[in-house]
Amino acid sequence: MHIPDAFVPLWQSAIYWIVALIFVALALRWARNELSEDKIPLIAVLAAGIFAIQAFNLPVAMGTSGHLVGGALAAIVLGSPYAAVFILTLVLIIQGIIFGDGGITTMGANILNMGVIGGFVGFYGYTALKSAGANMYLSAGVAAWLACFIASLAAAVEMAVAGTFPLVPGLIAMGTYHAVIGIIEGVITGAIIYFLAASRPDLLAGEDQQPSGGGVFA
Amino acid sequence: MIDNKTFMIAGLIIAIIIGGLAVFLASGDPDGLESAALFVQGDKTLTGPSPEDGDPEAIGAGTFEYEAPLPDYSTGEEGGKAGEIIAVFAGIIIMFILGFGTSKLIASKKKVA
Repeated sequence: MHIPDAFVPLWQSAIYWIVALIFVALALRWARNELSEDKIPLIAVLAAGIFAIQAFNLPVAMGTSGHLVGGALAAIVLGSPYAAVFILTLVLIIQGIIFGDGGITTMGANILNMGVIGGFVGFYGYTALKSAGANMYLSAGVAAWLACFIASLAAAVEMAVAGTFPLVPGLIAMGTYHAVIGIIEGVITGAIIYFLAASRPDLLAGEDQQPSGGGVFA
Repeated sequence: MIDNKTFMIAGLIIAIIIGGLAVFLASGDPDGLESAALFVQGDKTLTGPSPEDGDPEAIGAGTFEYEAPLPDYSTGEEGGKAGEIIAVFAGIIIMFILGFGTSKLIASKKKVA
């Protein structure tokens, strides 16, 4: 759902940029306060992995394809929606500037949809489902689906405000396609969290009730 | 339990495998936003196939143009699949270094403060 430059008038793009930059500043503050040396490998792997997997468009029928966005994944793994803003901003900067995927003027809107909305819906969806008693991987999958779906509806509203898409057909089309694309988001997010829990449970936020360094015999 | 170095190397290898597969296996169909653009332009039914030569961006106002150095994850038309592999791998390496570098910079600054 990378919005190209052509889809949003410049003055509206400027507003999305301002909102996005506020969240980027909050994400940097989160990073300064919460990011410890032991999370660096995880951030590097998530940034490279989310970029790679975003390049992999899977067919979802209806003449459409889609890929993982990864905002929910980053937020759940690192335990904060600001982690999603941080990592997705890095990914979107490189995609926009080097690969022309998503616009330059619309990068603010893309950060807002995929990083901010994706991260917040993913993170709070996950914590709500988990505290309601759902299994960790299922909670992550459903929250990731919701993150993809709600971000796409936000993009449809932005397209309507821009005068690019009519509101209702835009919502129906974006919602329909991303309800299916979101299944990819949900399955892959749940699976990656499963593999992380198996290989490096200490790296998963909120799963470190055992004393740090858990897994070591002492 | 694997150590940090192994975790990073394994993660990078998995990312490169995914990127390499993407070059050959990724769907050429438009993504969700582009499909929605084709739909609202009347070039596509909601659940029908997308037109081969559809231009999703035709609906946009076109207020700003930017030429990316590696457009659409390729080195241009003549680069072929090899160019796409180079572009995607370059992107993965850049992201890894950027993710590592920015988080290292922020984490190390915190210690000084």
